[in-house]
Amino acid sequence: MLLLLALLQQIDSTVPVQRGQRLEVSSFAGEIAVKTWNRNAVRVEAEPGGRTSVEIDRSATSLTVKTEGRRGPPSMVDLVITAPSWMALDLSGVNTDMSVTGMRGPISVETVQGEVEVEGGQGLVSLQSVQGSVSLTGAKGSLEVHSVNEDVRVSASSGEVTAETVNGDITLTRVDGSSVTASSVNGDLDYDGAIRNGGRYAFSTHNGSITVTVPPGSNAAVSVSTFNGEFASEFPVTLTETRKGKRFSFTIGTGSAQMTLESFQGSIELVRPRSYRGARDRDHDRDPDHDEH
Amino acid sequence: MNDQWTERLSEYLDGDLAESDRAALEAHLDTCAACGETLAGLRRIVVRARSLEDRVPSRELWSGVAARIGAGPRRRRLTFSVPQLLAAGIALAVVSGGSAWLLHPDAARMAALRPDPASQVVIPVAATGSTAGAARSYASAVDDLERVLAEGRSRLDSTTVRVLEQNLTLIDRAIAQAQRAVAADSANLYLNTHLAETMRRKIDLLRQAAALVSAVS
Repeated sequence: MLLLLALLQQIDSTVPVQRGQRLEVSSFAGEIAVKTWNRNAVRVEAEPGGRTSVEIDRSATSLTVKTEGRRGPPSMVDLVITAPSWMALDLSGVNTDMSVTGMRGPISVETVQGEVEVEGGQGLVSLQSVQGSVSLTGAKGSLEVHSVNEDVRVSASSGEVTAETVNGDITLTRVDGSSVTASSVNGDLDYDGAIRNGGRYAFSTHNGSITVTVPPGSNAAVSVSTFNGEFASEFPVTLTETRKGKRFSFTIGTGSAQMTLESFQGSIELVRPRSYRGARDRDHDRDPDHDEH
Repeated sequence: MNDQWTERLSEYLDGDLAESDRAALEAHLDTCAACGETLAGLRRIVVRARSLEDRVPSRELWSGVAARIGAGPRRRRLTFSVPQLLAAGIALAVVSGGSAWLLHPDAARMAALRPDPASQVVIPVAATGSTAGAARSYASAVDDLERVLAEGRSRLDSTTVRVLEQNLTLIDRAIAQAQRAVAADSANLYLNTHLAETMRRKIDLLRQAAALVSAVS
């Protein structure tokens, strides 16, 4: 059922929704900002623009909001959507920035030229931009974050994490996952998160460095490979070399988790958490004979 | 590294070794860290391939591709070395949910018939001598997708085209560097898998570009 087809002057429309309905929003250019409230309804607000209409279409399974140009592509429109946090969310755009705050269901975001910033999400959370950076925080579930030409960041999130970009850095902070994969062609990788027993962690880059923060008490079998890079560790490890200076492995603790670190021509470094280093340094200041464990 | 056994690790993984050879190899693995690591690497590849998500392209995209490439797409002559063939074979297996399917005229129907990815094994593609075909398919897929991008570039935003092409150049440079490294150290499993992974990245980006072209057509 088509609820609204309006030339864009000033849209402020609220549509009731039922549990199980999915929210789909598409806009050619501008911004889509989604926030939450505790009503079972979706509010759509749009700023004035050119000869562009906003269509709101409701079916049994979804509520669709999209911008349409009357002649040619739609002009730039800023959409502000307020929705119940339980709704699954599907955002798409071309020259569109996307931001989502507070949702607690699955989220899919795709844009070409635009930044993506999501806080929240559970289940399958898939974020993708070609030319913009992608940032995800506070999510749980199967998390997939992709960019092509910019950075990717995931923080304070848990689950299975896949992060990928071609020409950008990947930063994973306070991530708690049993499976974490990060890959860049021309960028640095920085992982500062849990290393779970039995977990699998794979980080690879062609032309960048890899820094992994290893919490004290971690158990991991670590495999390091490089072609023209270097390896360093803040704490002692016993290397088993299979190719001198290029490929080696070692075990931290019981070796329960599997960690693969690969950089074709960048450095690979293992460090201790900053808080641990600070405490250790203070201990050293008090006791100069204190040994590293 | 023991070349005699290294060459037979994929057979071992596939369970194709005779009982006596299997026992001898397992005894060798107890004492050879290099073979042990190579075997672990092979296992990781298989696990990675098995965990791949199927991505079936739309029929609409195929119709656009078919219209553009005509009945007889040009085939590039291949001069891959043996390790590169291994890499290409792996790459093809890795991207089989994308490039091969993207270019198949009846992809949607075949999707229903496609075997469970869990039953697919990557290594035998290389080990059974079919890598030359795999390499041709890879190069052909790249050719076709590049053609789609070339013919559709006028419909895309110029900035988007520039970014796509810059990133494809980055990947091509990485592929060239990895190829040179493999040529210098052909038995290095990391270099072979890195090359394959980088080739996979190129297909992924080209497929993404083709999807953008399709979306604005």
